[in-house]
Amino acid sequence: MEEPRLILLLLPVFLIQLGLMIFALVDLIKTPYTNGPKWMWAVIIIVVNIIGPILYFVMGRRNY
Amino acid sequence: MSVLEVKGLTKSYNGLLAADHIFFTLEEGTATALIGPNGSGKTTTLSMIAGLLKETEGTIKRDFKSGVGFLPQYPHFFPWLTALEFTEMAAKISGVDGKKARQQSVRALEFVGLGSTVNKKTGAFSGGMKQRLGLAQAIVHQPKLLLLDEPVSSLDPTGRREIMNLLKSLQKDTTILYSTHILNDAEEMTDQLLFLKQGKLVEQGSLAEVKSRYAEPKIRLRFETEAAAAAFEERMLWQMRRQRNVIDLPLSENGPTMQQVLEALAHNGNGISGVDRQTASLEEIFHKVVGAK
Amino acid sequence: MNQFGVLLKKEWRENVRNYKLFWIPTVFILLGILEPVTNYFLPQILDSVGNLPEGAVFKFPIPMPEQIIAAIMGQYQFVGLLIIALAYMGTIAGERRSGTATLLYARPLSFSAYFISKWIIASVIALLSVWLGFLAGYYYTYLLFGSVDLMGLVQFMASYSLWILLVVSIVMVSSAMMPNAGLAAAVSLGVIFISQLVDSLLGAYWPVSPMKLPAYAAAWLETAPDLGDFWWSVGVTIVLIALLIVLGIFLSRKRAATTKV
Repeated sequence: MEEPRLILLLLPVFLIQLGLMIFALVDLIKTPYTNGPKWMWAVIIIVVNIIGPILYFVMGRRNY
Repeated sequence: MSVLEVKGLTKSYNGLLAADHIFFTLEEGTATALIGPNGSGKTTTLSMIAGLLKETEGTIKRDFKSGVGFLPQYPHFFPWLTALEFTEMAAKISGVDGKKARQQSVRALEFVGLGSTVNKKTGAFSGGMKQRLGLAQAIVHQPKLLLLDEPVSSLDPTGRREIMNLLKSLQKDTTILYSTHILNDAEEMTDQLLFLKQGKLVEQGSLAEVKSRYAEPKIRLRFETEAAAAAFEERMLWQMRRQRNVIDLPLSENGPTMQQVLEALAHNGNGISGVDRQTASLEEIFHKVVGAK
Repeated sequence: MNQFGVLLKKEWRENVRNYKLFWIPTVFILLGILEPVTNYFLPQILDSVGNLPEGAVFKFPIPMPEQIIAAIMGQYQFVGLLIIALAYMGTIAGERRSGTATLLYARPLSFSAYFISKWIIASVIALLSVWLGFLAGYYYTYLLFGSVDLMGLVQFMASYSLWILLVVSIVMVSSAMMPNAGLAAAVSLGVIFISQLVDSLLGAYWPVSPMKLPAYAAAWLETAPDLGDFWWSVGVTIVLIALLIVLGIFLSRKRAATTKV
């Protein structure tokens, strides 16, 4: 398998992951209150791939 | 004309009575204060009238079709809606249609002083702003009956004054039932007082009626020295209470009149420095009626 | 009708502004892509880990494209359902617990409009996520492993969609019943996973079952499921969903008094 094709294949995956992460971070900065400290959520979003942003959206945000 | 008639309203939680056979009537255009300490059943009673809680026993007769307006003690809003979006939604759910809902929402928000923040998300609102928004959503559909649970107790004195003034101006068009444990508020805006204690309605009537029932008018005499007061106490045969240099003479049927007291003072009142006619404050009445045993 | 429109708009706004409309489909798309990609690279990954004894020649069977699509469904059957449950566990329970529902319930609210508006928006987003996920997964599968029968794919996705609607209904009813969001998620996932387990252990005795819908859906990719069993299962599932909606309306009205005042 040639390298360029591999990168092309995986690029969308990285982009979606990155998008999800940026999405969560922008929201974290904008939102006035979160459940738990903001810095903790920033760490979780950045460090834990895919699951981090999901955890933030489900548990970190105050939705109700 | 009565707007609401409550007969034998009772709520029991596993045998514990949070409201115990409460009877009262609200006349149109009046303001009624529901007073009592925490846990006396104020919120339970209001919740049942608002339709949030089902009564265990008794009836609530409403003499109008439109719903009530309800402001809980700590109103919570969807943080992702703006003040205007929320108020408009609330109006529409209460049956106000399209265009009118928008107009009435804007008017209600301006009335409570949120005119400049109608498009701000409620998630960023402070406690005071939420209280104002809570009032706006309660009046937006122009209900005939307004139920307010401790409308001002979480506010600072300035905010409290402003909201009380708003409520007083609303009283012209709507009937108000509100709970409070702050008696200055109750004294300011009330046609009827309802005293709750452990779920029971223990006293009711207009402010004047309740005051005359519990006021226990008395004449307070203040002397310059304790000795002078003691001398006066010894000389007169009336029933009186002395505390250091102050003497209280209860004004009762078999007690002295003001005139008799003044005449007595003219002859024997050496060292008198003040004469006062006093009645109990609502605060004192509150403690007497619902206070700790 | 007016109330229904108002509440539908409220639910839509909630899902847009809380970003559910964006992050849920994104996760499903990611799951859909990762399945064919990891399968494609599996031999190389194992090779580079190098745990195979020297000289051992290990031939991996190349999976069929249909198997990859079915494997994506396998991901959705666990991670996907978890996400749907977590995303909608609080839709009623959370509103009651925080007290935001109080200001709605103190009005002449139609609980049918209240529940159905929530059910519709949650269903739309769940279905959108599943469809986009399968399409993205199909595209990668096509690039790496070859095509599947398109008609079969459509039949598969349609059948699986009905299953997703059942899942959404179970989550919504749990949220109407339970006092908080966490319990609602636990109960709905418990009900779904346990009944699936029971069905897989004892299900040989009853071919008609909503729990067999995912398996019947996957059968469309190969040839077709037994049509009689399939249609009966579809019918039973539709009836079950309708009953759950009625139950959800009933419960959201009955439990309205538990809202925080």
